[in-house]
Amino acid sequence: MLHVELVLQGLINGSMYAVIAVGLTLVYGLLRILHVAHAGLFTLGAYITVLITNATGSLPLAVLAATLVVGVAGMLVYRLLYEPLLDRPPYVALIASIGLFICMEESYRIVFGPYGNSFDTMQLTQRITIGPIGMAAADAAMLVGAVVLLTGLGLLMKRTRFGIAWRATVTDPAMARSFGIDTIKVRYVNFFIASALAAAAGALVAVLNNLVEPTMGSVPSYKSLAIIVLGGLGNVGGTLAAALLLGVIEAYGTIYAGAFLDRDAIAFVFLIAVLMVRPQGLFAAR
Amino acid sequence: MLRVDGLTCGYGRFVAVRDLSFAAQQGEALAILGANGAGKSSTLMAIAGHVAVGGGTITFDGEDITALSPMGRCARGIALAPEGRRLFRDLTVRENLIVGGYVRDARRTDEAMARVLDLFPRLKERLDNQAGSLSGGEQQMAAIGRAMMAAPRLLLIDEVSLGLMPKNVDICYEALDALRRGGLTIVLVEQSLERVLAMADRVVVLESGRLAWTGTAAQARGNPEVLGAYMGGVRA
Repeated sequence: MLHVELVLQGLINGSMYAVIAVGLTLVYGLLRILHVAHAGLFTLGAYITVLITNATGSLPLAVLAATLVVGVAGMLVYRLLYEPLLDRPPYVALIASIGLFICMEESYRIVFGPYGNSFDTMQLTQRITIGPIGMAAADAAMLVGAVVLLTGLGLLMKRTRFGIAWRATVTDPAMARSFGIDTIKVRYVNFFIASALAAAAGALVAVLNNLVEPTMGSVPSYKSLAIIVLGGLGNVGGTLAAALLLGVIEAYGTIYAGAFLDRDAIAFVFLIAVLMVRPQGLFAAR
Repeated sequence: MLRVDGLTCGYGRFVAVRDLSFAAQQGEALAILGANGAGKSSTLMAIAGHVAVGGGTITFDGEDITALSPMGRCARGIALAPEGRRLFRDLTVRENLIVGGYVRDARRTDEAMARVLDLFPRLKERLDNQAGSLSGGEQQMAAIGRAMMAAPRLLLIDEVSLGLMPKNVDICYEALDALRRGGLTIVLVEQSLERVLAMADRVVVLESGRLAWTGTAAQARGNPEVLGAYMGGVRA
């Protein structure tokens, strides 16, 4: 029973990592930019969810608004920050992204205060029991939300003409253009979807912890970077698998190595160990 | 149909083609010949919009398309099957074909795909395979098929036979011949002189990025000037 609970807890954490990291890997796959500021958008999604839920009393409305607003914010980040830097070496965009992330964290501190905000009324506090397994509704929402979002993304990429055009653009933008694909539009849509995923993850974490704070993006930021390296940079399926694997390893590590290693340290010990054996990541595409 | 006037193009400071002029008529197969580095592929890529034009004009159906994006050229009926095929390797053959027809109405995709599969029946059994897993011959068929998905009026094709088994070269040339007979205009770059002269109506020979000779394929056969340029400036 312990193992079932640990795997389940790992999958819940892993699904949160997956939603954030898949967005990050979408950006990397298309533009070869390590989009550190993605975690700032995750935090923005969390804040918008709490503020709108407190103002309207409707969590679904708040989540919808957060994904739309943060999706548009992501497109603005692309237009104003990355697009002018596309012809520069990749580290220039990386430095700009780190700068934007710090700027976003400090802006949240100034605007929303340093101590964090929470829902006026705790959300999804019920307990769900399926057979011998019980979990908080917020945990279930995280799991189901991740499955729905990532399945939707998978269907979009595999089953629609736009998704196929998107994957073609990732493989060879110049050839994609010669077949009439508007690669600029693909980039904007890419940023919208990646950022909306970050916002959805932020909303789910806000519900799970009943707390949003300016620095809540820091841990997901470096952990999702670790995950996309583990998954094989730019590989969406690999990122998903790496995120779930990391979640489960963390859950086990917390029980069996928690006495001498912090949960986040466990993740990085695992990352270092994997990269020593497979520097290209666990699921490198090629 | 296609008119190139005084074309000068290249990559950064390197000028690959200088002051080149030629024209291709509707339903004609025009071959561009020359030694390695003569500027054949650069000419093709400039017509497709992938190489910056430094001077001259490219006109298609009376419209100046010199400054038009590759996307715009595709929408006007120009398709490219480039050197090295450049298939989307991680996509299946079916998905590559869908991308090829992206510029057209989605409802016509099935109809266009059926025509491509009639042209290259071998692709039928490979439709759900990743393009990167195909043999060289199958990749060339998929590349030509992908270009044909947009129902172009001008097909630009680079190095049809390069690295292919003779049987696959036959299949590709038979398909191109059928397309030409159906009214498609083809501009092709090819290393195999014998092959290309058997198919082309007219020939343009380049030497160091400049026009060295132009005439009909019949005039080119056995012509020492053409052979010399093809061999890299060594006169036969």
